[in-house]
Amino acid sequence: MSTAPATKVQAREAVLNESPFFFKAGSRQLFGVLHLPDTGAACTRAFVMSHPFGEEKLWSHRVFVSCARALAERGYAVLRFDYSGAGDSTEDTADTSLEMHLEDLGAAVAELLKRCPGATRVGLLGLRLGAAYAALFCERIAGDARFARLHGAPLILWECVTDGDAYIMELLRSNMATQMAVYGEVRDNREVLMARIRSGVPVNVDGYDIGKPLLESAGRTDLLPAGPMRHAGAVLVLQIAASAQAKVRDDLQKLAGNYTKGTLARAAEQPFWREIKPFYGRANELQRVTLEWLEQNDV
Amino acid sequence: MSEVRAISIDNAVGLKLFGTLHVPAVRRPDLPAVVLLSPGVKMRVGPGRLYVPLTEMLVAEGYLVLRFDFFGLGDSEGDLDETMLADVYNNIEVGRYVDDTLCALKWLRQHHGCSRFVLGGLCGGAITALLAAERDASIEGLLSIGMTVTLASNAAAPGKFLTDSELEWRRRLYLKKMLQTKYWLRFLTFRSEYGVIWHAMKRAIFKPAVKPATAAPGAPVEQRGNANPLFPRAFLAFLGRGGKALMLFSEKDRLLSEYQEKFVTPYAQTIEPHLPQLHQHVVPNANHVLSLREWQQELVDVSRRWLSDQYRALTNERA
Repeated sequence: MSTAPATKVQAREAVLNESPFFFKAGSRQLFGVLHLPDTGAACTRAFVMSHPFGEEKLWSHRVFVSCARALAERGYAVLRFDYSGAGDSTEDTADTSLEMHLEDLGAAVAELLKRCPGATRVGLLGLRLGAAYAALFCERIAGDARFARLHGAPLILWECVTDGDAYIMELLRSNMATQMAVYGEVRDNREVLMARIRSGVPVNVDGYDIGKPLLESAGRTDLLPAGPMRHAGAVLVLQIAASAQAKVRDDLQKLAGNYTKGTLARAAEQPFWREIKPFYGRANELQRVTLEWLEQNDV
Repeated sequence: MSEVRAISIDNAVGLKLFGTLHVPAVRRPDLPAVVLLSPGVKMRVGPGRLYVPLTEMLVAEGYLVLRFDFFGLGDSEGDLDETMLADVYNNIEVGRYVDDTLCALKWLRQHHGCSRFVLGGLCGGAITALLAAERDASIEGLLSIGMTVTLASNAAAPGKFLTDSELEWRRRLYLKKMLQTKYWLRFLTFRSEYGVIWHAMKRAIFKPAVKPATAAPGAPVEQRGNANPLFPRAFLAFLGRGGKALMLFSEKDRLLSEYQEKFVTPYAQTIEPHLPQLHQHVVPNANHVLSLREWQQELVDVSRRWLSDQYRALTNERA
């Protein structure tokens, strides 16, 4: 048991060029942090990062931050931002939807390009539901000239949610765990909770209200298209499992196969987007696999 | 119109701490600034965005509010060396982020003319607020949500340090679970917390021993159990100089029984003269992070009333 006040404080080592700011997505106000390389040169390559939903965002936050810093060290401009209903951005989670979040992602890309006009390629990197959003956004803008700088750019999908219905069920399990902890029993099962959301009454999962708009737009088994994907750039579909020998997930293998330049890889990491006993300040293996793939595919 | 600004503060070793400053449409000069401190490893919005409705209420009441990330967490610079969460929590509980907090107060003094403060926070944020108050007398109020009075590194042996009320609650829960096959399956496949089950269930067989009063802060480690020796000293010093605190707890959170059994009961005589400075409120049924909307709303309402009582009274005293 340690009771001595912690006096070891890490002083600033690397010079980081990071600026926090708010920007607009329609009438909504979103919070973002722009990471720039400390070279002073204009960036030609960039990334926008797409965070997961709810409390998964908070648990994985430092993994995102450390990855953004690693990308900036390699010359990328990186924008991390909070979706509507998350973090410091406006809106109530209960009112958000897939459509709203894709608009947010579009606004984040536009903001990055406004701040880094020299960026000729803008990749997307997402985790869990954030990965699904990134994949869907790339499909949506595949023929849109306004987003030409994304078309051939890398797309990185970490532990992508492919089945939105199963994902919502997973979230509702967390609601039932809360019921168990508070009342000692599950009073409302998943069917009751689903019916409640469909009737327009949000259901709380770890402090985030899941409303009808999100359920109807993202809670679908066919959240991602089953057929060929239109994104022309290189795509890394990364499965995160406790060991590198873990069974390959069929859905992720199919997803990678649906892209012309898709690659499926695995990284041995704990599920850092949940509460686990280790502290995850960074995901070294995940970051290594990602950066090595990027070195080979973003040339 | 109120306004929110993205800001950064340099801490004592030059690391940038990122945060948001929430400026009310009409800032009341008689009110202290409120700083909400991050809980555990969660960032400045709190779990389930707990601090968002709280901030909205404070800004509507005319308070200037600052939320920021400590070094190595959230968006801020720096890295933490720990590999286990419990060790991060433990280092927070012994004051790791007091210096960052004092830097934030200095920044508010220099840039926004603040001279008086109320510090608030959940769990690790609450203990950081208290330990900062021990070093800075301009902190006149604590908006404490789930104050932690123990050290988290003992999480490796959770059964050993559970309070009587939590052991009793768990005993009843385990009795209920004994009737369900899935929990037996869990028990027989080595996925249960056997130490906790043993400590809870043995109460049905053996009469619980009468525990001695919690040892004084200076007592040897083996006499203190998992109590944080820094808490009583800081809390009594804060009360001794006239500090006022809202002590809000969640009913279904072990922190409530820990506060009662490991501090209030053993220090009953010492804190008795200070009781008028303390307002305790328990949110019925709520869990540690107050995840449901109604629990969050109760936090907001109780905080509003407590602040209103404090600052109406202070204004009268000064007049």
